[in-house]
Amino acid sequence: MKFEKKRAGTKQEIPTASMPDIVFMLLLFFMVTTTLREVDVLVDFKLPEAEAIEKIENKRLIHYIWIGNDKRIQINDSIVRLEEVRPIMYSKSQALPNVIVSLRVDQNADMGLVTDIQQELRKAYCLRINYSANIKI
Amino acid sequence: MIKKKKIAEASIPTASMADIAFLLLLFFLVSTVIDVDTGIGLTLPEYVPPEEQEQVKVDPDRMAAVLINENGDVLIDGQFVAVHQIKQNLKPRITSKIDLPMNRKLIVSLKTDRKTVYNVYINALDQIKLAFFEVRDEYSNSRFGDKYDKLIPEQQKEVRDAVPIIISLAEPEVVKS
Repeated sequence: MKFEKKRAGTKQEIPTASMPDIVFMLLLFFMVTTTLREVDVLVDFKLPEAEAIEKIENKRLIHYIWIGNDKRIQINDSIVRLEEVRPIMYSKSQALPNVIVSLRVDQNADMGLVTDIQQELRKAYCLRINYSANIKI
Repeated sequence: MIKKKKIAEASIPTASMADIAFLLLLFFLVSTVIDVDTGIGLTLPEYVPPEEQEQVKVDPDRMAAVLINENGDVLIDGQFVAVHQIKQNLKPRITSKIDLPMNRKLIVSLKTDRKTVYNVYINALDQIKLAFFEVRDEYSNSRFGDKYDKLIPEQQKEVRDAVPIIISLAEPEVVKS
């Protein structure tokens, strides 16, 4: 008995002409969604965990303040003193009135320092704050 | 005899375009961070200098004073509770005030010591927020038959009005040096 291979008469090729277009489209999506502005975090911190967590809807409104486990405060790219928080944040709230300040505080920090910063933020009219926390599983 | 020159076809080779695009794509794929910022939101009150501050009397029935000391012990209205019990403690009190007008809803006042650990504070705040969220969900379930996040904006507003989240951070005391 003779075995014969069955073969379709049509060409067996995937058309690749539109592949660059598809790839470019994906590329464009990632280029648009990427935010390359990443700040070097100079302080050591471990965020607390919480359940009643909200997402911040608009990333462009956020400004970060870091407080490390060694009580150092970082805004933008530099370590600042407590007295400098108010002028910096005031200029930010003037430029962007509905700014959200995200406090990324180490979980072992003292409330005293956090309260002091909150008082400075109130004086600088940065009233919307967000205690950054990870989702408790 | 003049030989006609064959004109070379002027075209850019596009075979490698896909590869180049893939490389670029890979770079952006790797460098993209799609992490959403999560946290507990809060709105601070506007700053009023101490000499202009007015003392407003609040009905003690409206207030739930949550105090946390430096050891992480929690007092609610003078009663000692554990941190994870705050939610159970507050929920009935929030629920009982759903039908009352806006100016008689429960105010949760949170006060900490300067030496309180931040983690305990966040846990307590989390519990308070959870209490409000759960009451909201229960209320919207009984009224509209669905959870709060699944309601349409008008219904959400109604639930928000019935169960407003009022958390007051106590004015810090002046530190005596």
